[in-house]
Amino acid sequence: MPRWGMAIDLGRCIGCRSCAVVCKIHNSLPPGTWWQRVETIGAKVHHTPVGRYPDFSEVYLPVPCQHCDNAPCVKVCPVGATWQREDGLVLIDFERCIGCRYCMTACPYGVRQFNWQNSDKNFKEAFKKLGFSQNWFADSSYRPGYPYEHRTKDGRLVFTPKRPRGVVEKCTFCVQYVDQGLPPACVRGCPGNARIFGDLNDPNSLISQVIKRRDVIRMREDLNTSPKVYYLLPEYKSYRGKIIYEKILKAFERMAVNL
Amino acid sequence: MRVSRRTFLKTALVGTTFLVGSKYFKKGFTEVSKDEGIKYVRSTCSPNCTGACGFNAMVHKGRIVALIQAADYPEEEYNPRGCLRGQSMVNLIYGPDRLKQPLIRVGKRGEGKFKAVSWDEALDYAATKLAEIMKKYGPESVASFIQVPGTGYVQKGALVRLSSALGWSVIHAYTMNGDLPMFWPITFGVQTEELESLEWANSKYTLICGSNILWTRVPDAKFLHLSRERGGKVVVVDPNYSPTAAAADEWIQINPSTDSAFALGLAYVILTEGLYDADFVKTYTDLPLLVRLDNQKKLRAEEVAGLSAQARAMKARLPEYRECYVVYDVNSKRLVIPDPENLKRNFDPLLEGELEVTLVDGKKVKVKPAFQLLKEEVLANYSPEKVAQIIAPSSDRVKEYEELIKRIGREIATIKPLHIVYGASNYQWYHGDLKGRAYSLLVALTGNLGKSGAGISTYAGQYRIRWPLGAWWQFKGKPLKWVSFLLWLNKEFRESEVFKKYNTETPYPPNDVKALVFGWGNPFDQHNLANRLREKALNGELELIINFDFQMATSVAWSDVILPGVAWYEKYDLTATILHPYVQLQQPAIEPLFQCMPEIWICKELAKRVVEKLGDEELKKQIREFYVNPELFDKEEEARRKGEWNLKLARELAHQASLDAADIMLKTGGPLVEGITLEALKKGPVRLNLPTPNKRQLVFYEQIQEYKPFPPVSYPAPLPKTARFVKSGRIEFYKDEDVFIDLKETLPVHKDPIKETEHKIMKEKYPLIYITRNRLYSVHSTHSNNITMLELQDFRPRVWIHPDTARKRGIKEGDLVEIYNERGKVYAYAVLDPGIHPQVVTFEEGWWSRYLRGTSYNTLIYPWIKPTHIIYFVPGIWEASTCWNEAACEIKKA
Repeated sequence: MPRWGMAIDLGRCIGCRSCAVVCKIHNSLPPGTWWQRVETIGAKVHHTPVGRYPDFSEVYLPVPCQHCDNAPCVKVCPVGATWQREDGLVLIDFERCIGCRYCMTACPYGVRQFNWQNSDKNFKEAFKKLGFSQNWFADSSYRPGYPYEHRTKDGRLVFTPKRPRGVVEKCTFCVQYVDQGLPPACVRGCPGNARIFGDLNDPNSLISQVIKRRDVIRMREDLNTSPKVYYLLPEYKSYRGKIIYEKILKAFERMAVNL
Repeated sequence: MRVSRRTFLKTALVGTTFLVGSKYFKKGFTEVSKDEGIKYVRSTCSPNCTGACGFNAMVHKGRIVALIQAADYPEEEYNPRGCLRGQSMVNLIYGPDRLKQPLIRVGKRGEGKFKAVSWDEALDYAATKLAEIMKKYGPESVASFIQVPGTGYVQKGALVRLSSALGWSVIHAYTMNGDLPMFWPITFGVQTEELESLEWANSKYTLICGSNILWTRVPDAKFLHLSRERGGKVVVVDPNYSPTAAAADEWIQINPSTDSAFALGLAYVILTEGLYDADFVKTYTDLPLLVRLDNQKKLRAEEVAGLSAQARAMKARLPEYRECYVVYDVNSKRLVIPDPENLKRNFDPLLEGELEVTLVDGKKVKVKPAFQLLKEEVLANYSPEKVAQIIAPSSDRVKEYEELIKRIGREIATIKPLHIVYGASNYQWYHGDLKGRAYSLLVALTGNLGKSGAGISTYAGQYRIRWPLGAWWQFKGKPLKWVSFLLWLNKEFRESEVFKKYNTETPYPPNDVKALVFGWGNPFDQHNLANRLREKALNGELELIINFDFQMATSVAWSDVILPGVAWYEKYDLTATILHPYVQLQQPAIEPLFQCMPEIWICKELAKRVVEKLGDEELKKQIREFYVNPELFDKEEEARRKGEWNLKLARELAHQASLDAADIMLKTGGPLVEGITLEALKKGPVRLNLPTPNKRQLVFYEQIQEYKPFPPVSYPAPLPKTARFVKSGRIEFYKDEDVFIDLKETLPVHKDPIKETEHKIMKEKYPLIYITRNRLYSVHSTHSNNITMLELQDFRPRVWIHPDTARKRGIKEGDLVEIYNERGKVYAYAVLDPGIHPQVVTFEEGWWSRYLRGTSYNTLIYPWIKPTHIIYFVPGIWEASTCWNEAACEIKKA
């Protein structure tokens, strides 16, 4: 049985947010919902520098669901709607979720979101707010995203383009693709080749090799959540301008929870 | 545990494809797989970034539900090409702004009131009006334009073909966009040249000057990282700290538009420390050529006693655009005429010193090699001490900058290959040409051209096409007429003494421009003088405006007839931009939405109907050849006669006609596309047959390695048109056309920005400089209304200013501010960014008026035209251009 994990190379990430966007379209996320965010560590506005003039620095941090081996969200779910599948994916059964949002409080990475309303409403409100001539797609029955429901072997609904109201949702590592032998959309869509997806149980897989050989960190190791998303530290950026990279790392650890 | 970076890379790079097919994934398969209802169609994302990235459209029930990069380029490093804008293109194809059917204006221009009409009604209405204007004012009074031809040779070519057939004037989009890097034709005689980004990884030193390629070249940005991973150094020179600066080893902040001083300061170090590549300078540049001190012109061999007969004989066998100049050969100790058609050298020219030469008329004149003049100029004015005063952002850093100039000068002279990226934001200044000439000097002095990873590149304003397209673009070989956008809208310049003095060949329609037919552009808020264009639309001087678009962009509201076109997932087209050397197809993944039609059909119908209204019998007979295969035209007409015509048939025929057009362009395109077939392109990208090792796109490979003369041809301009810019056949740093002598710009020099343009208004009221940079979230105007991109910008336009600049004006983070000068204003929300130069206000271009409270961000900008731009007219290569960033402004809380 594989154990899926992801490695994100912070030396390669350019903060372009293509991962967030390709995720959004493929997973039918309406305005207001993101399964994946990319921000500049320590900056108020993305792509503005941190540090003291002229020794500035910008390091970008993409944050998908960390698919923790020891996931706090799984522990707090009172109905077993959130669970970790045998292959390591932390998933939500949309049919079982009761919308209590305990998991959102428990997640230290802030990657879970709640569907307060029908996603059509999000689109309508956003279109209206932005001054479009009408508040719906020109093709009225159009909806972006992977068009089918996706169920696990035991029949649990883990993806549907028409998301029910009142459930929590989050990054699934694109379970609908992984189950077909394809990497998640953010991995395929990253123009910076910053992401590697693969089997952590296989010592010969690229991801295992890379994690073994590079300096890696996981977010909030202190919480013992044991994430399966590994961040590769930018080796060649160890000394940039006059900023010692370790300082950024400290900021990185502080930042992680606030995203 | 560690492996070397290279080993990791090797594995990492094969990783992406390896993973897709990996059998590890098979273990995770569920029994439930319903993908049978999905098909994937490969097309090419083709907005004006010219990135031309292969995308697969995921099609379900006739709709594109998602897009993903095709990742099918043979060089694995290129995969996956594509970015957030292309990934969310479905927001535009299906979004609320999508046009559904032809429209005719009923309200006032700009008001946006239309009636929906049938194709017949819209086309007949347009054709009647066009024919009237053509008869009344002459066909050249109808002006058409397309944007960035490389992104669509077939459909954009169809409008050019239409203009050729009917004798209309074409506006080259270059002059509208203002991203003309004039140093290219001045120095090298070309439109532009550039490394493909794959080659960035081979550079050992990358000097990026005023370019934010991390945003503007998202799919290529990784090659900067690859270069660093392979041990290369990246240095960013920019008034503002940018994400690209963040990716670099070093950021050198300089004052706005002082790059020529910086570059010449580096040249000072290279020249004084003897670090230049003398062999390169002697072989490929005009620096050894002798210059007359009495008239500042290059010494022509014909003028010289004892050389004139030989010169005349040489010229008789040389093309007309060549001139014979003179060097002093230190070996034979005599004057020699270098062959301008062959750079291979059998003499050793003098670089430094002064000579006296006897002319044919017996007069004796003093001459010096251009190199000597250059050295005198640089030594006199560009010592690190002097340059540091000009470029250092604050007086307390001057000493530091002196040392920095010396260090960088030594680094670029010794670390090879060196690649300079000269950004559009940097050359879009009044003296942008001088800065480019100065940076070009650095690559020439250090011998960094014609090799892998070496050169100078501009990744904007690349308007060349890849091979001759006349078979499609010109209807039956009819030549094109031209008009310049800036001259049309800038009457005061057209009538100025300067224009009269220097202009020799710029055409202008005798009865002015009366009708505008355009597509793939948004001129009513995206261009310099957009306000004047609106005036002309409102006061009726512009009698007819016809627009092809697939969305309700700002310019649609200003148009009289809107003929709805399609996106690049609804048609066939041939794409071959300059950014990378791949020829690709756009292929229809879906039927065109609603009543939208491929532009080739719209152009064909316009051609047919205008010709009928004109009553030109000759043209009437010919026009069935508008589609390459006239039988397709006949078939559609026959269906009409029989009452069997429908959109589906018209689309099928248009698709076939598009493929035919692509086919004929490939078959008549010459050696660069020999053997590239439609069949191959349907499967994926095919590399052009470039005459370099591995067909890599290098800068001046044939000139440097095979001693061919400058310039290589810049299609579509015929060689004689561009070769006359560099008559010596060499890289020219000494320009002796009168205008350069008058302006004291015979050599690359530094001139302060603003001084000759906005000085007065800046001194009085507007102390800040208004820079409009490219956004990460749009491609100019395209994607301005993309809901996902809007969300990533907090749904609002932003302006980036230094905290001190803000504090002085009581502006806080997030405040709504007004940026203004006496010409116009624009609104945006303040982002306080300590990396922005304190004198600079950075607004992000591309926003439609509707997001700016009805204002247009271009109204603040006046297109100052430098006289050097008007001494020749070769469309899109040497003509009047604008300088967006040369604009003074002030900012206040709104």
